[in-house]
Amino acid sequence: MSRHFPAILFLLPLFAAISMPVVCLRHRHWSRPISLAVLSSMVVLSILNLNSIITHGEVRYAFSGWSAPLGIEWVADGLASMILVTLSFLGLLALVFAGPTSPKDLGGRIVHYYTLILLLISALTGIVFAGDLFNLFVFLEVAAIASYALIGVAGGRALFAAFRYLVLGTLGASLYLLGVSYFYAASGTLNMADMAEKLPHLLNSKAVVGGLLFMFIGLGIKMALVPFHAWLPDAYTYAPESISPILASLVTKVALVGWVRIIFWVLGAKVIVNDIPVLLLVGILGTLAAVIGAVLALNQRDIKAMFAYGGISHIGIILIGVSQGNQTGFVGGVFYLLNDAVMQAALFFLAGMAICQYGARTVEDVGRIGKQAPWFTGVLIIVAMGMIGLPPTGGFFGKWYIILGALEANNYIAVAAVLLSTLLTLAYFVRLFEAIFRQTPLPSDRLPSDIPFAYKLSLGATSAAVIMLGVFSDPIVQLLLNHALPPGL
Amino acid sequence: MIRPHDSIIVQSLGRFLIPVIQIFGLYVLFFGQYGPGGGFVGGVILGTSMILSVLIFGHDASRSQIAKKILHGDGVGMLIYAGVGGLCMIGGGEFLNYAELDIPGLETAARRSLGIVLTQIGVAVDVAVTAVSIVFSLSAEEIIEDSLNG
Repeated sequence: MSRHFPAILFLLPLFAAISMPVVCLRHRHWSRPISLAVLSSMVVLSILNLNSIITHGEVRYAFSGWSAPLGIEWVADGLASMILVTLSFLGLLALVFAGPTSPKDLGGRIVHYYTLILLLISALTGIVFAGDLFNLFVFLEVAAIASYALIGVAGGRALFAAFRYLVLGTLGASLYLLGVSYFYAASGTLNMADMAEKLPHLLNSKAVVGGLLFMFIGLGIKMALVPFHAWLPDAYTYAPESISPILASLVTKVALVGWVRIIFWVLGAKVIVNDIPVLLLVGILGTLAAVIGAVLALNQRDIKAMFAYGGISHIGIILIGVSQGNQTGFVGGVFYLLNDAVMQAALFFLAGMAICQYGARTVEDVGRIGKQAPWFTGVLIIVAMGMIGLPPTGGFFGKWYIILGALEANNYIAVAAVLLSTLLTLAYFVRLFEAIFRQTPLPSDRLPSDIPFAYKLSLGATSAAVIMLGVFSDPIVQLLLNHALPPGL
Repeated sequence: MIRPHDSIIVQSLGRFLIPVIQIFGLYVLFFGQYGPGGGFVGGVILGTSMILSVLIFGHDASRSQIAKKILHGDGVGMLIYAGVGGLCMIGGGEFLNYAELDIPGLETAARRSLGIVLTQIGVAVDVAVTAVSIVFSLSAEEIIEDSLNG
């Protein structure tokens, strides 16, 4: 049974999504309980899956019984299973959070709304598990199409942001597909493991060099790496409050996982293409992203935009970690990725709560509500500790291992970039806290004090996870070291 | 809103052509095992025949009722597909490994044949529904809204 887990984990949300319009034809309000049930069972299954991967080793699931180079393969190794536990956990919380925050005027479209959320989750699962480059493309596109529609649901400015994302995202997907077709032309295969065997002889071929460039730019757009990040802040800022946590915590991170797969599992860790070490290039891009993203975050007034730029800078920190070319850095990067997914979800839960509950969008508004909203300020302090990287939280240990890895590789620029981006992160959170603790609320600002249970649950669970990831960082890092390392690192 | 076409030639030809197109669609669907064809193409042809009847007879005509009814079937095809895949898993094989299709009293060859036909029917239903719903959503938004709300 346990060997079917990877397939079931993907098929469950997919089939639930597509059969939703039929099942909820007469009973539109069933869509939310069904989605919650699907995501809860995904959480259970993904934990069972991780457990069985740890005890029995990785699973390669050949759909229809056609084995690897010919058929379509799902690769459930340690990395994919760890990411999937995070993904389904955050997906469930985001769905809980979506209850009170969904746009009110959806009407009959509520069924389609939950359909799209489940489709997005299943596509992200597909990206994590995909064992060949072409299916990675297919699921990138499914995830992207679902996100365009979900961002545009609110109408108004969100439509423009969604259209801009659509144009750039389609460009990214097309470039990625072009890169995959170059690789296919050069090597004659699409399966990752098969290609990893054939590529070392082909590294000087123009097709591979060009294809790699296209793939990198394509996935770079998808994960909002710094020169290609223009679509992200607007899309996340104007997306409905119920959707931006899923987008911010999962979509870009999972595209990054796809990139990590291609670099480490297809190309190989120490690969040098056309005299350029790929990891060095990734490291430079990561350094730029880490610093520039944080600087841009410092300039924002809108809290959602501020958190969105913070996410861009953290993508850079993860890339710095994985690009150090040693085990410590790689594990640090992946561990930071898990942390960052949780922290981004928590930040956008906070922003969504501030907007829906208190009508606060900017830093000044937050200052006005801060003292009267204990849940908001309390969780903000915990998550800010994680984002800045203070000891009891997972963010600290992630950055710690990344810096250790960079020191091991004698890469002092990377160390400086991580520290600089930490300082800048501190700076923009200090702006928030200064607004909260220095303003005295006006007597007219009486706030609604009853907070829906959904907010408490999603905020409580994510802030607990931020701390738990720090407290249990040692076993998690050991797990990553034993089960999630790429070959040859 | 699509009104009936007022030309008698178009109407009579439509009356004659639509069943032929549907039979051809079914042929392509079931012939897919042995030659060119299959669920996607068959579904497109079936969907086209329904779109044609809507375009010719207008979407209030009794001939177009099937096209309006089928909009509710969005996802039925996927359920068929999932059912076949699930039966293969229950039989102990991988998802869609038809050799393990858990239907008693069948040879392996018959299982493979039946499995692929059933999945292709599922694919055809969804493709046809999608084609029809694209035309409806481009032509008359209120139909979709009505069918969702009622």
